[in-house]
Amino acid sequence: MENNLTANAEAVSEGAVAGEAVLPQKKQKKPINQQKLQDNLWGWIFCIPLIVGTVWFVYICLIAAFLLSFTDYSMIGSLPMFEYLGEMGKHLAYNEDTGATDILWWYKQVFTETIKPVGTELNQMGMYLFNTVFYMIGIPIGMILAMFFAVCMTRDIPGANVFRVIYYFPCVASTVSIVYTFRLMFSNAGVINQLFGLQTAVDGEAFTWLQLSGNLPLTWNKLLGKDVTTQFMNEPFWCQGILSKAVIIIMSVWKGLGGTIILYIAGLSGVNAATKEAAQIDGANGWQIFWKVTMPDLYPTIFYNIVTAVIGGMQIYAEPVLLMDENYLTSGYVSLIWEYGLNGMNASPSTGAAYGMFLALIIFILTMFQFWLDSKNKD
Amino acid sequence: MSNEVMNNDAPEQEKQYSSARYAWGAFLAFFGISSATHRGSKKRKKLIGDILVYIILLFGSFLMIYPFWWMLAASFANTSNLGTSTDILNRLVWWPSLSTADPDYNGAHGFFTNYYDLIVGGNNRGFDLAVPGLTFWRVLLNNLLYSIVPVVVGVITSASAAFSFAKIEWIGRNVVFYFLLAAIMVPGPSIMTAQFCMYDALNWRDNGLVLIIPGLFGSIMTAFFIRQFLYGMPTSIIEAAKIDGAGYFRIFCGFILPLAMPAIMAQGLLSFMGSWNNYMGSFIMIDRDQKSINLPHALALLDESQSSIPGGYAVVIAGSVICVLPVMILFACFQKLIISSLMLTGSKE
Repeated sequence: MENNLTANAEAVSEGAVAGEAVLPQKKQKKPINQQKLQDNLWGWIFCIPLIVGTVWFVYICLIAAFLLSFTDYSMIGSLPMFEYLGEMGKHLAYNEDTGATDILWWYKQVFTETIKPVGTELNQMGMYLFNTVFYMIGIPIGMILAMFFAVCMTRDIPGANVFRVIYYFPCVASTVSIVYTFRLMFSNAGVINQLFGLQTAVDGEAFTWLQLSGNLPLTWNKLLGKDVTTQFMNEPFWCQGILSKAVIIIMSVWKGLGGTIILYIAGLSGVNAATKEAAQIDGANGWQIFWKVTMPDLYPTIFYNIVTAVIGGMQIYAEPVLLMDENYLTSGYVSLIWEYGLNGMNASPSTGAAYGMFLALIIFILTMFQFWLDSKNKD
Repeated sequence: MSNEVMNNDAPEQEKQYSSARYAWGAFLAFFGISSATHRGSKKRKKLIGDILVYIILLFGSFLMIYPFWWMLAASFANTSNLGTSTDILNRLVWWPSLSTADPDYNGAHGFFTNYYDLIVGGNNRGFDLAVPGLTFWRVLLNNLLYSIVPVVVGVITSASAAFSFAKIEWIGRNVVFYFLLAAIMVPGPSIMTAQFCMYDALNWRDNGLVLIIPGLFGSIMTAFFIRQFLYGMPTSIIEAAKIDGAGYFRIFCGFILPLAMPAIMAQGLLSFMGSWNNYMGSFIMIDRDQKSINLPHALALLDESQSSIPGGYAVVIAGSVICVLPVMILFACFQKLIISSLMLTGSKE
């Protein structure tokens, strides 16, 4: 290979010399073309694995998932997926009541599926989406905490780098290990209840952070020790799972803090020192400098953080399911895809694909909305 | 600043202040804050601020470290005294001596009973209870295989693509780049049903190939970050090598790989940690009764099988420590490289 290339390069340079001597105008183009050919050839060769991988494992799968959601694929008894999609016309989704072909059947199903935990029927997808969005409370909390710690760490003190490392430790740890540790720490007689004296907080019983059926019926009245006669305060449904959700939020803030801090430190070190100094000479105090000079410079970092946090937050799955098992009170939206699309032999990947397509749409719209807000902000 | 200017005039005016006001001013001045009566020193102010910042950061570090500390202590728990006051679950652990104070550590292996049971699989506390025939060493080997092979090969393919995007001029380069970059907009869970069916048809699922082969093709995010790094490298090196007659393959192996080694190492380490902790991949794709599951997945199954056994938590926590420890050590060794790469590329993971 190498010899070949070297020979090629020599041939090129010889050609160039010869061309200049004999026919300067016509033959000058040839070496350049050969160089360009080399560039194009090697450019493609170097990135062909990545192109193949991305197209195969992302784009083809995306198209396949989109098509699957209009068919009636099942785990057992169906052909392998690509053959199945090849004769898709024969397998379109149909209305299970009337038997008529209805390619949007799964979409109608996923939007209208209901559950009946209490007296009234509730939209299932709505419940799971509510949980997912509820966990996003952790995003602003994490952002503010990370900003606070990042400002502390950029102060000129010895040993600031050590703190960066310590705060990043939770980010590299496995979610499974973290969840099992937190589950024990938040158990009834566990560390947290002991530390805050919560063993007798609810009617003489311990705070049951992680049991949906623990000291039931738990209501807001009981939890807050109040006696208000509204439905919201008295109905157990409105309070069930709230403590478990709090644990999940605490856990995700704790786990994600280090990464955000490092991004903020990177952003803070990029803030223009000259502007800061000028503001100081003009008599601005630290607080004013932070809001008027540092924050505008940090805006891109904050925006990037929010966008990635929202995209990641919509895909929350492992934490709630490992902590509480799959249930409508704590699980995120992605567990619907798993539960309906992939769990066991009776699962219907077509339903899962329909759920997945809707998730992709939500994330796309949220991201576009954020970019729209960003562009509006800049004007 | 403005306060100081005022203070310069203050002695001339000789204003009378109440003693309370005067004491308050003295109190503030001790912390370096200037007031109408006293002038604070800047040095003192900085010192007090530094101490405050240290206290805050140390408190935060405690919060960050304590769960790991507790995890380590709980992994040594003695499960023969469940429910008593020496049961680790009912106790705040500040120092491991508290747990060594238990006189009745049963078994021949002392503190390491849980680890021994997990690794050797004794007392119905090993992985074989979760998956018949599964041993600890098999799980560890799986996890190493899933996190070393795809990461080493994948980071090199990513680096080659990054080299192509950053340093070679070819037609359609930007179009291809943005086409690939757009793939990160596709959320993983959305396409996981189709991926599952595809891997099932290819028969890659239960033999674990699903966690190896897709990784060999590299990842666009890794390529993107290495490309950012390569942009900062002078092109003249490549031009010089070309003039000397080196081909692109030679340039890549001889110049790009060594020169971009910090970025490649950092990205490789980060993706190693990601693969090591990849619970979702194994959980979604590999059936729960297979021996090819990875460590986090096996831990989750172990937890399920131990959940009805009193004291079963201890062996699960021992497994959690084994799962966390290698990446923690790796991160501690390469923290400078990883953190500087994170700050350069602005990625979170």
